[in-house]
Amino acid sequence: MAVSVAKERKVRGLGSERLREALVGYGFIALPMGFFLLFFIFPIGYAAYISRYDWGIFRGPFIGFDNYRQLYHDSVFWQHAVRNTLVYTAVVVPLQMALGLSLAVVVNNAIRFRTFFRAAFYFPSLASSAAIVSIATYILASDGLLNSFLGVLGYHHTYAWFSRTDTALPSIIGLNAWTTAGTMMLFYLASLQAISTEVYEAAAIDGAGAWRTFWKITFPLLKPGHFFVAVVSVIGALQQFDQSFIVGGTSGGPNYSTMTVVLYLYNRAFSAHFGYAAAVGLVLFVFIFTVTVIQRLLFGKAEVA
Amino acid sequence: MADEQLPPTPAALAVGELAVVEAAGAPPAAPGIPGRERADRIRIVLTYTVMFIVAALFFIPFLWSVSTSFRTIADTVQGFSLLPRHWTTAGYHDVFYKYHFGRYTMNSAIIAGAITATNLFLASLGGYAFARLKFPGREVLFMLVLGTLMIPDQLRLVPIYQMLVNMLPSWVGHVGWENATFTNRNGVILINLVSASSLFLMRQYFLTIPRDLEEAAKLDGAGYFKTYRRVMLPLAGPALAAVCILTFQGSWNGLFWPAVLLQDEAQRTIPLGLVYFQTIYTTLWPQLMAASVVAIVPVLLLFVLFQRYFVAGVAASGVKG
Repeated sequence: MAVSVAKERKVRGLGSERLREALVGYGFIALPMGFFLLFFIFPIGYAAYISRYDWGIFRGPFIGFDNYRQLYHDSVFWQHAVRNTLVYTAVVVPLQMALGLSLAVVVNNAIRFRTFFRAAFYFPSLASSAAIVSIATYILASDGLLNSFLGVLGYHHTYAWFSRTDTALPSIIGLNAWTTAGTMMLFYLASLQAISTEVYEAAAIDGAGAWRTFWKITFPLLKPGHFFVAVVSVIGALQQFDQSFIVGGTSGGPNYSTMTVVLYLYNRAFSAHFGYAAAVGLVLFVFIFTVTVIQRLLFGKAEVA
Repeated sequence: MADEQLPPTPAALAVGELAVVEAAGAPPAAPGIPGRERADRIRIVLTYTVMFIVAALFFIPFLWSVSTSFRTIADTVQGFSLLPRHWTTAGYHDVFYKYHFGRYTMNSAIIAGAITATNLFLASLGGYAFARLKFPGREVLFMLVLGTLMIPDQLRLVPIYQMLVNMLPSWVGHVGWENATFTNRNGVILINLVSASSLFLMRQYFLTIPRDLEEAAKLDGAGYFKTYRRVMLPLAGPALAAVCILTFQGSWNGLFWPAVLLQDEAQRTIPLGLVYFQTIYTTLWPQLMAASVVAIVPVLLLFVLFQRYFVAGVAASGVKG
């Protein structure tokens, strides 16, 4: 009898210890989890709810899928916002990847001043987009540094690059490829350093040159790195907002040439069309989600760490 | 990312040292092939020249903006000159005393400081629980946290704005906080209290810490919070530094949420202030450049002081995929 009581107490003691650990665990994650539920998970459903109403600043009448129908026929959305975002993504992603990879390969070598070069290349990634665009606006102004430089070369530009419909978006593309190259470089660096040195030794023994080694060995072995950088870069590009907002204001000027999907969403929301903006947000979310899944299928799931 | 063959070189030093180290550190001559040594040396000098030019492209725009920030307005339209013709700090003076950037700087500091503090605390506490404490549903909940990384901020714009304008004030009204508003600094802080990437970074780091020390603390009768506070936190320095730096940088530079929530001029952050300044005063270049320098310098200082943690942090958030 006494023995069984003792045993029971011991078992209960263990159980309560485990319970205590679990309760403490829940307690420690309670605030972050509550936060994620309230400000990340709940808003998805709430956005879906808002998108089915004629929601100005406050909730209006229920209109079913009318916002989506209207979006389907919205020429500003398709011909400017979506088109610009896709063009931007299609050009900026390869640029960012190529630049990031080149810089990473250079900095990964046992070169002198490695830390200096790495810091220099990462430097533009540090600064806020607002400061970068301010500086770019100045350099790309009608009498700015770039036009003066081109003038010296005998090529006379007299307009500000951000002010014309044909050069505003390309300027933003160039600017962003340059500012994010450093971040992409760091991602590629991490991935490069995961490649075993033995592979390179084998290649060296086989007499493969630097160029050949890069294309035959480094590039294919970087597959997980390519995947990650591509995903980050595409997601970032589809969410392009800051530079367009600063250069073109909420209407993506000049003449919608810098209008993007996210800027359009912001524009709709703050012209008191919250229901419509919520629909734009959900369409964007579904699109980004699909692209990520497709990329994952293309690059193979097993490759992703 | 950790192993550095070369000691960290401050940018200013590196350029000055170039000639000396370059001469001393030329590769050993390949014996037997005449002319090889010379060709190699030319190739190396050429490579480094190209690299320095490329590196220069990455920071010349900033040097140009610093140079312009010390100019007079007249100077900016007189054609090219590398340095200001007349040095003046009027740009900075105007920015702070005429265009309210003193206030914007304070707003940015409050927002970035608060978000960094809450991220450090909540991410380390939650990261410790996810890494070490056993409770049912732990893995599922952690996947949920990582899943939030898939939700773009833009999708959250409408619902969160509506929540902060309509729902939340009425909720806190019920508990006696009348007329609360969240379309201000508090709102920006509230919706950025902790991020999934901070939590992820902390958890991954705690997983690498050996369990022995905790066991010892447990034997000494330390509770979970005490173990977290006295044993785990002191060991998590590098991860805390990475979270601190990346969060501060992100919130100091952030434009999207301030642009959504800060409608009142007095609440603006530096980036938002820059946007409005640019649209109103299109050609006050020295002032605009001075404000840009003010926006960049704090993050730049952080980077110069803690470069290792920056690199490690970005890499760690990258490796996970």
